[in-house]
Amino acid sequence: MEYLLTRLDEKILSLKKVSKKAFVAYLVAGDPDLDSTLELMHGFVDAGVDILEIGVPFSDPIAEGPIIQAAHDRALKNNTSLNSIFHLVESFREKNTDTPIILMGYMNTFLANAEDLKEAHQSGTDAVLIVDIPGESNLEDLGIKNKNLASISLIAPTTSEDRVSKICNSSSGFIYYVTLRGVTGSSHLNINEAESNINHIRSQTSLPVFAGFGIKTPDDAFNLSKISDGIVIGSSLVQMIHEQSDQKEFKNIYNYLHEMAEAISR
Amino acid sequence: MDNLTDLPNSDGFFGEYGGKFVPETLMHALKELDEIYARLKNDPKFVEEIDQDLVQFVGRPSPLYFAKRLTDHYSGPQIWLKREDLNHTGAHKINNTVGQILLAKAMGKKRIIAETGAGQHGVATATVAARLGLECHIYMGAADVERQSLNVYRIKLLGAKVHAVDSGTATLKDALNEAMRDWVTNIEDTYYIIGSVTGPHPYPMIVRDFNAIVGRELRKQSIEQFMQYPDAIVACVGGGSNAMGIFYPFLEEPNVALIGVEAAGSGLASGKHAAPLNDGEPGILHGAKSYLMQDKNGQVVDTHSISAGLDYPGVGPEHSNLKDSGRANYIAVDDVEVLSSFHLVTKLEGIMPALETAHAFAALEHIAKNYKSNQHIVINVSGRGDKDINTVATMDGISLD
Repeated sequence: MEYLLTRLDEKILSLKKVSKKAFVAYLVAGDPDLDSTLELMHGFVDAGVDILEIGVPFSDPIAEGPIIQAAHDRALKNNTSLNSIFHLVESFREKNTDTPIILMGYMNTFLANAEDLKEAHQSGTDAVLIVDIPGESNLEDLGIKNKNLASISLIAPTTSEDRVSKICNSSSGFIYYVTLRGVTGSSHLNINEAESNINHIRSQTSLPVFAGFGIKTPDDAFNLSKISDGIVIGSSLVQMIHEQSDQKEFKNIYNYLHEMAEAISR
Repeated sequence: MDNLTDLPNSDGFFGEYGGKFVPETLMHALKELDEIYARLKNDPKFVEEIDQDLVQFVGRPSPLYFAKRLTDHYSGPQIWLKREDLNHTGAHKINNTVGQILLAKAMGKKRIIAETGAGQHGVATATVAARLGLECHIYMGAADVERQSLNVYRIKLLGAKVHAVDSGTATLKDALNEAMRDWVTNIEDTYYIIGSVTGPHPYPMIVRDFNAIVGRELRKQSIEQFMQYPDAIVACVGGGSNAMGIFYPFLEEPNVALIGVEAAGSGLASGKHAAPLNDGEPGILHGAKSYLMQDKNGQVVDTHSISAGLDYPGVGPEHSNLKDSGRANYIAVDDVEVLSSFHLVTKLEGIMPALETAHAFAALEHIAKNYKSNQHIVINVSGRGDKDINTVATMDGISLD
């Protein structure tokens, strides 16, 4: 049987070919509004972002720090739903067909829309990343994952060694290594611990390992990119988007992304 | 099918409900807790230590009391009261914290966190933490800090720090969110004492087991005092720990009707209530699948109840399974019925119930007529009402200042 490479696989292969680390950026859909989110998505890519992670807002986001919690609240006040996010992705695909899109959120929102997830790939969505489930969960049985929709699993510093291989087996695309004990936007980065844990994950899987949570400065990005296959940034971007939400002038954000992209290709 | 008493299964499911839906960082801690509890729960030394605390520190067994004037008032079944309001700290919540603090000690944890709605679980946690000299942090919705100020002060007197939570609806669910975030951040040295039969496995099982002393005592007391098991047991349900504790030892007694009473708030039809078993859909919140008040997009909706302890959009997963299996029935009573029941019980019996507990009493208006004078209904008096005096006075239009 012929295996078709997904958009995510292709992006990861093309980065590998030129020995480039992946740069993943997160923003919350609908904060400050969906039109701005669309503009920011294109702007992110132009500034050097390889993969987009779109936050799906939830009323009770237990893994988020105060910055992203507040963004979820604002997005929900704008009635942002999973369906409106599929439309957002469709609009994005009118101009961009090669940047992978991952929807990151909480199980209840996805379960409530399980029917629509069957068709999610038609909007141009490539994968889901669900924060509040054990990494080895069988998402196909729950109607979340399907042959056209990959799922990314998280591995934490506290994940026991015996579970690492199980989680790797149920993940596709890449492994998301959570660099700290804490919520998003915390600041307890421990590079040494991250390095030894990422090395262990690599011994269990051929999937690339990206690092995220707590990366704020170009130096953080540089240090983590040396020991991983890519980095994810979120809270710092969400904060900057919020600060610019009145005048909707996002140039300083794109400059910041440029700096980060340069840092990881140093 | 498994016996209901054998649940949850090893993955933490009661039928299709329960499980461990949490961020990956917490998975290891939950497994560790599961293992240590499995080992200790049958350890004679551990069991003896808890039993001794329950007798000498909590004041157990709590009496089973015949409510003569309430019985006369309804002129139907004999109404009996299981007096959890007489426990140390004033509610059933202490049964659970006395047990969990010993688990924390066995795991070598130095820091205790908990969420609280009405403040009873906060007081019960601060109490056992004080007794063992452990650092203690209580998360409480800012709206609840306001309406349960007496308990907030008690918690502070006991040496714990109260964190008022402003996010979301500023009530119990948001306190739980914040406690989970604390736990994710301080996972190595912190033990989270969840206060109800909610949250990820193994918590719903552990909290139920520690509260099941109530039902076990009732089995013995009912035989001693009226020569048979009750015909019905009635308990209020928010997360559902007092109900689960008194129901559990009777799950395999088919002649004992189990009736849970949810908060209908301003009325089920108004949508402003906290009754997921009566008017919710299965969903996932705070680590478990269970009935949940949510909109069509899977967002958790605002709840309302006069009682802070029941003002929660979810419910323990075991209750969801008991509802679907038909083993228990769940009804709902509104704020107005609850307030009038509070006054009735206070005047007729000289017992001032917590507003949460008053929901169970208010159910008598609906169900007493279904029973005959030779039948016995037991109400679980889950807590006392001192903490609610300000709320009741406000509702009655009386100023206490």
